[in-house]
Formats: sequence, structure tokens, C-alpha cells
Amino acid sequence: MSVSATYDVVVIGGGHNGLTAAATLAKKGKSVCVIEKAEAFGGMAREVAHLLYNLHPKVARELGLGALNEGKPLSTISLAEDGNHVEISGDTVRFADGAAHPDAAAYAEMIRRLKKFAGVLGQLSTKTPPKLDGGLTSLATLGELAGLAKMGLDLKRLGKKDMNEFLRVILTNAYDLVLDEMPDGPLAGALCADAVRGNFVGPRSPGTVFNLMYRLGQGGDVRLPKGGMIAVARAFEDAARKAGVDLRAGQGVTRVLIENDTVNGVELEDGTVINTRAVLSSAAPKATMEMAGIEHFDVEAARRMRHMRCKGSVAKLTLTLKDAPSIKGLSWDQMKSRFLIAPSAAAVERSFNPVKYNELPTAPVIEAVIPTLSDVEVASDGRHILSANIQHVPHTPEGGWDDAKRRHVINTVVAQLETHMPGLAALVESPDLLTPADIEARTGAPGGHWHHAEMGVDQILTVRPVNGMAHYRFAIGGLYLCGAAAHPGGDVTGLPGRNSALQLLKDGVLS
Amino acid sequence: MSKTPTAVPVGAIPTPLYERMEAISTTKSWANWAGYISPLVLDTVEFEYFAIRNQSTLFDISPMHKYRISGPDALKVLNRLVTRDVAKLRDGRVGYALWCDEEGMVIDDGTIFRYTETDFLLCCQETMYSWLLDSAWGFEADIIDESHTIAGVSLQGPTTFSLLKEAGLGAVEDMKPFDLREVEPGLWVSRTGFTGDLGYELWTAWDDIAALWDRLWAAGGNWGLRAIGAEALNMVRIEAGFIAAGVDFQPVHTAMRLHRGRSPLELGFEKLVHFEKGHFNGRRALLQQREDGMKHHLVKIDIGGFKPADGSLIYHRKKKEVGHVTSGVWSPTMKQNIALAEFKAPYGKAIQDDLWVEIYVNEEGQWDKRIVPLTVVDKPFFQNARSRATPPKSF
Amino acid sequence: MGQHDTYDAIIAGAGHNGLTTACYLAKAGLKVLIVEKNDWIGGASVSRSLHDGWTYSNCSYVCSLLRREIVRDLELPRFGLQVIPYEGGASFTPDGDYFAYYSDHDALRREMFRHSPADVDAYERFSQTVIRQCRFIRPFLLRNAPDPSSLRPRDLNELLFLLKKAHGLGAKELGETLRFWTMSIGDFLDEHFENDLIKAHIAGAGIIGTGLGVYSPGTAYVLLHHYMGDVDGAIGAWGFARGGMGAIANALGACFEEAGGTIVTGSGVDQFLVKDGKTVGVALENGDTYQAPIVASNMDVKRTFLNHTETKHLPEDFTRAVKRFKIRGSSGKLNIALDSLPEFPAAPKGSPFLRGDMHCSQSLNELERAYDDWKEGHWSKDPYFDMLIPSQIDPTLAPPGKHMMTVFVQYAPYDLEVNGVRSGENWNDETRKAFADCVFDKIEVAMPDIRKHVLHAEIRTPWDIEKEVGLTEGNIFQGELTFDQLLFNRPVPGYAQYRTPIDGMYLVGSSAHPGGGVMAAPGANAAREILRNIGKGDLMPKHAA
Repeated sequence: MSVSATYDVVVIGGGHNGLTAAATLAKKGKSVCVIEKAEAFGGMAREVAHLLYNLHPKVARELGLGALNEGKPLSTISLAEDGNHVEISGDTVRFADGAAHPDAAAYAEMIRRLKKFAGVLGQLSTKTPPKLDGGLTSLATLGELAGLAKMGLDLKRLGKKDMNEFLRVILTNAYDLVLDEMPDGPLAGALCADAVRGNFVGPRSPGTVFNLMYRLGQGGDVRLPKGGMIAVARAFEDAARKAGVDLRAGQGVTRVLIENDTVNGVELEDGTVINTRAVLSSAAPKATMEMAGIEHFDVEAARRMRHMRCKGSVAKLTLTLKDAPSIKGLSWDQMKSRFLIAPSAAAVERSFNPVKYNELPTAPVIEAVIPTLSDVEVASDGRHILSANIQHVPHTPEGGWDDAKRRHVINTVVAQLETHMPGLAALVESPDLLTPADIEARTGAPGGHWHHAEMGVDQILTVRPVNGMAHYRFAIGGLYLCGAAAHPGGDVTGLPGRNSALQLLKDGVLS
Repeated sequence: MSKTPTAVPVGAIPTPLYERMEAISTTKSWANWAGYISPLVLDTVEFEYFAIRNQSTLFDISPMHKYRISGPDALKVLNRLVTRDVAKLRDGRVGYALWCDEEGMVIDDGTIFRYTETDFLLCCQETMYSWLLDSAWGFEADIIDESHTIAGVSLQGPTTFSLLKEAGLGAVEDMKPFDLREVEPGLWVSRTGFTGDLGYELWTAWDDIAALWDRLWAAGGNWGLRAIGAEALNMVRIEAGFIAAGVDFQPVHTAMRLHRGRSPLELGFEKLVHFEKGHFNGRRALLQQREDGMKHHLVKIDIGGFKPADGSLIYHRKKKEVGHVTSGVWSPTMKQNIALAEFKAPYGKAIQDDLWVEIYVNEEGQWDKRIVPLTVVDKPFFQNARSRATPPKSF
Repeated sequence: MGQHDTYDAIIAGAGHNGLTTACYLAKAGLKVLIVEKNDWIGGASVSRSLHDGWTYSNCSYVCSLLRREIVRDLELPRFGLQVIPYEGGASFTPDGDYFAYYSDHDALRREMFRHSPADVDAYERFSQTVIRQCRFIRPFLLRNAPDPSSLRPRDLNELLFLLKKAHGLGAKELGETLRFWTMSIGDFLDEHFENDLIKAHIAGAGIIGTGLGVYSPGTAYVLLHHYMGDVDGAIGAWGFARGGMGAIANALGACFEEAGGTIVTGSGVDQFLVKDGKTVGVALENGDTYQAPIVASNMDVKRTFLNHTETKHLPEDFTRAVKRFKIRGSSGKLNIALDSLPEFPAAPKGSPFLRGDMHCSQSLNELERAYDDWKEGHWSKDPYFDMLIPSQIDPTLAPPGKHMMTVFVQYAPYDLEVNGVRSGENWNDETRKAFADCVFDKIEVAMPDIRKHVLHAEIRTPWDIEKEVGLTEGNIFQGELTFDQLLFNRPVPGYAQYRTPIDGMYLVGSSAHPGGGVMAAPGANAAREILRNIGKGDLMPKHAA
């Protein structure tokens, strides 16, 4: 074993959260090194995401990523079987042909309310979740409770009516919330699709309104950054580099070294040892535990991590097309939108049925975008890319993945798209399917889950990632979690990384 | 219809020794111990008690839970499980240990039999299979529940060595307390017990235990061998200062109410909590408790008067309720009114004087309340050099 | 009986909650009238003789949740109420085996061991968790749900009580509590157990009466709701009311009449009468009207306000909230007269678990698929059922040697789908029979010759239950027990304390906190509120005060 270097902090994993954590610490004058197993930085933001939403303005400001949040957000078009597609831009809704939508007012009102609630809830996302054991003698706890009290006050400030509504809807399900306000159809379907996206749920599952609010946390705008998500990954990487972080790619951490219940280094695949006083891991909790050695964790903690719900159920299909497809009734400009195939709330619920039994999807909810229409840089020789997230694909179907099953999924999705984009199948050159199992293999995300851990109400705030570990502190002195499994959770917000870094500084491990 | 399931038996079932005990039981006083029929008293409590302190006694310990922990990581798993350092236990030795949940509260106590570094047996009161599986998850270690395949008897009393010799088991002669040895193929003996006296526990296959009983019984005539029940045993274990799960502390996994758990520090086992060995379950919580101070103290007490104080409340200055007796008995050997008692801290440790026990007595239909003083005691009530002598004395 | 009869209080509906409220009010000296649409009292806690010589508990069928404080306050045993615990239960499998839930702890451990050694201890851990949760929740059952948006001292006080209780749990247990209240019963059981059959056996309690699947978040709470009862302090134990569930209503009725109350049956409420925002009485369907300054509705919140109260008396927000309160029909029932005890080829004759609740579900996935059918408006092709033969214990239910069997079925939709149309009207003799056949086919797993024993069977769908009992959509809890409809959200945020927007009008049924099950807690809590409001709070007996 050779000791190659010494840092204040080593960050495991160079996804956007790891990079954010590293940059945050480096800006405070700490020496930081990020170790990334893959050859390139960016993690899931690079490999899986195809649109940017929810990047937190604080993170964007602190890291100088403001440019990513600029430009016109994409509008969403929910494709209808009868051709009356629904176009959603911000809180306005109309039919794609410009005609007024009968539920536009109801939609606007619902979004207004949910955004307001999301704003209140959003305060909690930039802080360490409050500890609820009310050790009123501890100053740290008092500080955390103050955050909660502030939220309580803001809730009261909403007024009795809105506060009551907040307390009701926060735990309710998207299906009922939406259908209480409008008839079922592509608009209701779109809302339900956004409420289940990335999670192992259907819109009837209680708690899905929380997901919708989380999505609306930063306004709900969806962006297609110039240069695609690779550019986003690069921007995070550049921010870290600029802050003075050492970035090492191509070799992962095999072990976190511990002495006296405190971390003192990490060991890489080739046996190199890097000494450090703190390790922030953006890997999943269970993987991090295994790197540190299970014997350092209490049995109950290990059990909770084993049982963490993280069944990934989104596959990504990238189609290289000979030519740009078109949808009847949509303008060239509208073709740059984000498309949803979610014809009704009931259809979104039906989409969820097969995956519960590890079965292949029959009519999955699809989110698709053709980035090459907006961004000439990524198009080459007239070809186009259609990128689709397929909601409700099992991590591993009965008997495992094989070519026939992959083809089945691809054909199902292409056929679904084909009903709206006639002639699409003939344009497809090379379909590239990333199943949740593939995503897990590539990024290490447990279960291939977008958020490393299901964003269910039983796995958020003080019980995220698991009960007793919500403070980023990960059992052993100097070991912290900084990935999506930590509060506040998934999406390219950068917040878990930032919050974790701040908690480390607050705990005085480095002083 | 392919299966024809056999219905499982309902209620307590016999151990392989039940027939023998049933034949000599005059009281027909049985209890349910882990699903098995176990004697409370076979004949007379006091004669059974005196036999333990004066002769030889046999008690059926087959219902004990026994778990085999083996494999390359067996030691790691055990060291993660219990608070003491199992690495320091040598092969062929037995060690008493406690284990805790993540909050440092005792799940159970028991004995660890170390055959080799990769092969152990854990003996305890509570059922522990799932917990052991959880503890071994991620490690190369197999957990096998041997509760129903290994049976055992506890042979206790000052003449037990002589008895064993007569039974052809003189090979135990050089065994020190807590030694473990396979004295004959398939017959393991440990010099252990729950009495604080000379004694051995003998372990063998479930189906062979009756023959072993007969062999000991045949050799027992000259040594005053008696079969005993749990009541006599309870008296001597209090004399020896041993704690009993579910009596002197509530195993935390069986507590339906919150905050009923107690830590090994609170139970008085600081010496068996080896913080320096690295992480074990509950270590961080116990460190915190050591820093914050304990909430309870379990201590031995000597009580005035003659009336056993089991279950009595304890007061400071006869006014403030500060604890209760968890096990209490009149010791016929020591002629003392002894007990284990749990105090709310700092009583029982920092504050030891002006403590009073409130005892209710019913004498032939008349209830009477007595307030009697108590003294906190450090050492076991009953201690005798013969229990540790190696080789043991003949009687 | 006449147009001008005036009372201190009128209770609309003689369900167990309405009767409970009425008893407390009458015992406090009020002149109380109960009006009931049916010719009998009891609502869903009723014994009916629909086949000569047999008594059916044809709605609710087992008893556990009935609060002992209420039984004691109202001296119900003196009026004939006896609750007898029953012994265990079983889940039968198509391959001729079963999992028996023995009440004997040793036997239960051996049975678990037979199926899955690792699950034996897991069960102890499961029980500990559930009982701890029950202990946590019980003190809230006979208290008001605090209104978090209110600053009134009483609400702050209740909120403080809740916080104090929560604080007392400690950090770890509080975290576990938060999880337990929000997770699915399926995930919860998957965390604890390995064996599918054992999981399926336990999971039923998480979906009974509920329009959710075993993997829907919130169903662990539903299980808790079924477990938090007790028979004589044995938490989670269930029993039969001797004489059927009507014995509860009858005891309450007798208590009420002894206290001087009047019950008028045979005509339901047509309108709740309101004047200047104040309740003034009720007008019945038969044209009679009665006056009172206090009117309490035992009907569910939707029926009370959407069908029998003029909308103009209600704030618009309130009406909207009532409309979106979810009361979903998801359960059906068969009540069967048997000529003798059927054969159970798998089980030894006389096995104690045959006297308990029996099921034929094999796995959580099977239960989840049963839910998928219901979502589409179908009864489950492979349904979950909770089946008992209480006449083995209670001799009053059937002639000697003959038996009464009750089969509670999950899921059956209210608005049955036929040819693309979803409507309660689709329930007719033909669909009803097809539904029953589907259930009988599955019962044959346990009792292959069941059909030969049937003398009479009453088939009840959610549609029928709504028609007869009056429960909206036939929902047995007067409202889904999802977490957006519990505590201060039940039934309507801001109106969780039995009051309504109309002065003097109260809601006393299971639509109110703490919800359904034959618990009588809403009725007792509402009585406490009413008495307090008229300055007679001190007349509430101490156990439920």
C-alpha cells in the first residue's frame, strides 16, 4: 500500500452531487479530491437524464451554473389518441392547435396551489432534516427545529384554508387530486405521469402528490440545455475544477479506511491509499456501508439499508433516426417539445400494473424528446436522436433480460410512438435501450433507481435514506453521505451534495 | 392435493428427559420453558436446594436455545454481536456475554462456547435465530439453530466431580472453570453452571441425552444425586448473584413497552463491555451513555428481616420511591435476606444509605406492611473456594 | 308521534355510533330521539334472521375495536353484551396444505417454523412493532383530533399532547412510527418475513374495507386500525358478539331506552332542517318532523350533506371538500347457512384454527392483482376473503349441528363495469351470482364440498350495502382510512371535531375521527363534544371523558 496523497476530504463518486459537495468544500478552502470509477464525470446526470429540471438556484449560484437555468423552458405536449394534443407551458394549457382547453383554469389553479405548497416545503430541502427526538438541550437540534418552526409559521401564514389543504394534499395521491378537478384525459394523464416519474408508483398510490410538489419545487420548468446533459455534467465538473478540486476518474474506491471509529483514508482499486479526514460518499448507502465494512455498522442500520426501497422502474431508450419524425398537427417548433404518452390518469395507473409483478410493460408511460431539433451541435449528418424515458419497466423481468425481451420493450415503445409519429419505425437505425439493470451496472445506482432510493413519504426527510441516518453523518466519524439517497433526494438539484458538505463543516470534523 | 400436513403439537411438549423426571416427580409441578415441559419442583424445593449446595443435582437444560455460528467470519460476527472481546476467548473455553441493540440495550445474555476460531456455539434464553442471521448478513458465517438437536443437563454441586469420575468421565479432572472439552465422541462437557458452586454442563445429541441421564443417575447413588426443578435453581443463582433474563432485566426485543431496555452498564457489567475492541452493536450508544450517565443501576442488596422481598418497592428516606426488587429470596445457606434490585440512578450507586424496602406479608390471612432497611452488597452472596478448585475436591 | 314533538337532541341513524352518542346524551339527562330508516336498529352492526332458524351478522361480523371504556360507561354487559374471543385462523393452499395461526404461542412458533424457520423470530419482531404502534395510537382514539391550523387553547393542548406522546417515543421509535404510518403493508411484511403464505395471511388486515392494494402506501396503518382493538386487554385479539353483531346495537338500544330515550324506526331523514344557520330538527321521509336544537347525524359525511342537507346552508369550500372525501365501495360479503360443518381435508378434525378467520390467499402479489381487478371496476378474479364459522362458538346463530358462515370479500366494486359502462346498476341477480360463484370456487380450496352444504346464501355487494344500510358506496368505514383522511383531515379539514358548519349539527359516525370499525369511539367523542358545548361536559362519564 502506498500513500499517494492527503486531502481534507475525499468525495466518492463524481456525479453532480459528488461534484457539488466537492466544489462547496473547496470554495471554503478545503483540499478535496473526487474519485470517480467511470472514465467520465457526471454520473446519472450524464448517463440517464435527458432533460434538466429542478437544479436548485442556490446550487446554481454558488457553483456558477446559472447559465444552465437560462433560456426558454420546454413546453410539454401530452399526446392524445384522438389527435387533440394538449400543450402545457408553465401554468398555461391549450390544445396544440391553439384552441382553448376547457380545464385550463382548473389546471392553472391547481399548479398555483401546488407551487405555493412546494415553496413552503422547499425550505426544508436546503437544510439538514430536523431531528425529532427533541433533545431540547442540544443547540444543534434547536437550530434544526427552528427550521421546522419557520415552516410551521409559513404554513400558518398561508391562511387557515390553504394550510388545511396543504396538510391534506401532501399525503394524498395524484389520481384523486387531479380527477377531483378535471375529467380524465391527456392533461390529467400528464399530471399523473409527472407525479410518478422516476418512482415505483402509480398515480393512485398515496404520496404521489408529494412527488409532484417536489418536481415543482424549483418552478417545474424543464430545460434542454445546450449541448445536452453531457454539457450539464461538464458544467458541474468545470465548477469543481475551478474551485480547486482534484478530480480523478477511471478508478473507484474499494475501501474506506477506518481507525478508531473514524475514517482516515480510502483505498483505490489498484491499492493506492489516499489519506483524508473525511469521506463524502455519493454512492448508495448500502454500497457505502460495504466499502466501509459492514462490521462498523449496527445490525439494525444494516438491515434498514438492506430494506431501503429502491426498485428502479425507468428505462431509457435512445433511437437514432435517419430523419426527423413528425407528428400530425404539430408545428416544427412544437416538435422540440417534451412529449408525454400518458393519455389518461387511468392509463398511467395501468402502466404501473405489470412492473409490480416484474412483467414487461404493455402500454407504458413515455416521456420523449428530440434534442437534435433544438440543438444543431448534437445532430450529425442529418440524423436525429429521439430520447425516451419509459416509465414502469422492471429492473429484471422473470428469467432475466435477453435479446427477445429487450426487443419486445423497444418494439412496444416504438409502436406506441408510431401511432403519433407515422413512419417512425422505418426511421430507426439503432435503438439503444438502457434497462434499470443497465443503469445500475453503469452508475451503481441501486436497483437502477433514479433517486437511489424511492421518494416515498416513508423515505423522505427524517427517514431518508433510512431511519436514524438522516443527518448525512453515516455512523462512522468523518463519513458522510452526499448522494441522491440523502435528503432531499433525487433529480439534478445538487442539494444533497451541498447540504452534506455544509453539515460536515458544521460538525467541525475538519477543524 | 399433494401434501398431507401433520399438524404441529399445541402447547408445551416433552424433552427426551421428561419421562425420567415424570417418574420421580411427586409434585407434578411443571412450567413451559421455550415450548418444553420443564420442572418447577420435582419433590421439595428446600431439599433440592440443599442438594445443590451439598451433593449433586441434575437439571434438564435441553430447552436452552443453542445456535452454531461457524465459518471464516464466525469470530467477526460474534465480535460484532456481543460486547466482550471474543478474540480473547481461547479455543476450548466458554465465556459469558451480553449483546445489545443499536441503542445499547441488552437483547439477551448467554454463553459462548468456542470450539475453534471458526466454530462457536451460542447458548441463551431468548430465541435469537433471526437476529443472528441479521448480524451475519454480509459475512461468511453460517447460523444453524441446534436448539432441537443438542440436548443438555446441568450437573451441579460439590460432589459432581466424584460422580463424573464414577460415571467414567474422570477426564474432566483438569478442566478449569469455563473450560470446554469433548470428553467422549459426541459428549461435550463445560465446567459451567448457574449456581456459583462446583458444576458441569453436559451436552450431547438430542437422542442420546436420556442414556447420559441414566449413566449419571446410575453413578449418583454414592454422591446424593437428586433431580431438581427451576425453583431451587433460582435460589442458588440469586445467591451467586447471577441475573436472569425476563426477571432482572427485560430483553429489549421482547419489551412491548418503550424504554424498558437496560444497558450492560446499567446491569453492572462494565467489565464485559470492551470498547477498545472496535465496533460492536450498540457501541456508540453505550459510549454516549457512559458520557451522559446511566439511568438505572442493578445491584445486589442485603435486606433486613426474614421475609423475602421479591417484587417489593424501595424508598429513599422511607418516602421517595427509587427502585424495586427484581429477584429476592431468603438464603438458607447464608442466612441472609438477599435480592437483586433495580434503582433509578443515582440511587443504589452514588446514594446507598437510608434506603428501605417495603414488604407486604401475609401471615395466615393477615396482611402486614414492613419497612425494612437494606444494604448494597458488592460481592456475590455465596462464594466458595470449592467452586474454582482444579482439580476439584471430592466433595 | 307527531309534527310538533320537540326533543333536546335528535340522532339520525341507529348505527352503533349513533346509539352510543344517544346513550351518553340520554344518560346526561337530555331528552333524546333516534330516527332510523330501517325497521331495525344497528346500522351495520346488526343480526338478521334471513333464513329460518339462522342469525346472520350480515354486515360487520367480528368485534375487537369496541372501546372498553364505552362498554363500561354504558354498562353494556348488563344489557346482554358478551364478546367471546376466537381462536386463531388459517390460510389454506391449493396443494392441500395450510398455514395455521394458532392462538397458542408455542404451536404458532412451530407452525411458522414448519413453513419458514427464519420467520419465527421475525414474527415476534413484527408483533412487537405492531403492539407498540397500537399502544401509541390508543390514547388518541377517545380524544379529539387537534386542528393544527387553530390557535384555540384546546387545540394547542391536543397538539401538545400529540407532540408529547411522539416525543416520548424517542428518535428511533418516532422514525419507525413515521415510516409505519406511511408505508404499505406489503413493504412492511417484506421487511419482516420471507414466506409468501405467512405474509398473505397477515396482509389481509391491511386491505379489508379499503380501496387500496397491499403495496399501496398507507395500508400498514389500515392493518394497525384492525389490530388496535382488544378483547379484555389482549391487544389485537378478535371476538364474536354473542348473538351476532346485533347484540352490540341491541345492548346500546336497551341502555338508551332505560335512560329514557325514544327510538323511531321505519322512516329515514329526508332533510336536516336549518334556520338562520342553526339546526332546528329533521323532516322524515314519511312526512313527520321533529324539532331539536341539537341534531347528530350517524350517516356518513357525503350522505348527510350531499343528500339530506340543503346546499345553501353550507359554505362552498365545505361542500367541495365533502364531495372529494373518498368513500369507496370495495368489499362484498356472503352470509351462508350450512346444513353441517364442511370437511377441511387439510386440517385435522377439530383443529382450533378452524374456529378462527380463514383465508385462501397465497401471496402478496395475488392480493395486489386482486386490487388491479377492482381498479378497473371488476370483482377480483382471485379474491381475498376473510371467512368465519362463528356458530362453532356461538350456539345462538344456527340450529344445533348446523352452521352459519360469514365470508367477507375484498375486492368488489361499487360501480361494476359491464361493456365499458361502470355503474352500480350493473349489479343484478346474474352478476351477483357470478360474483358469488367466483368466491365459492376459491372457498373450495379449503372446503371442496362447500357447495353441497349451502342451504341459503345472502350475497351482498357494495351496491346492496349502500341500498340497505345507507353507507355511501357500501364502504364499511364511512370513508377511506388513507392518511389524507385521518386525524385532523377526517372528514373535512377544519371540521374534524364532530362539528359541522351548521350550528347545533354534529357528525357522529365513522366518517369522523378516529374512523371505522365497530369501535363506537366517534359516537362517544361526539357526545363529549355536544355535552361540552351545552355546558354539561361534566356529565360525561369518566372512562370516556
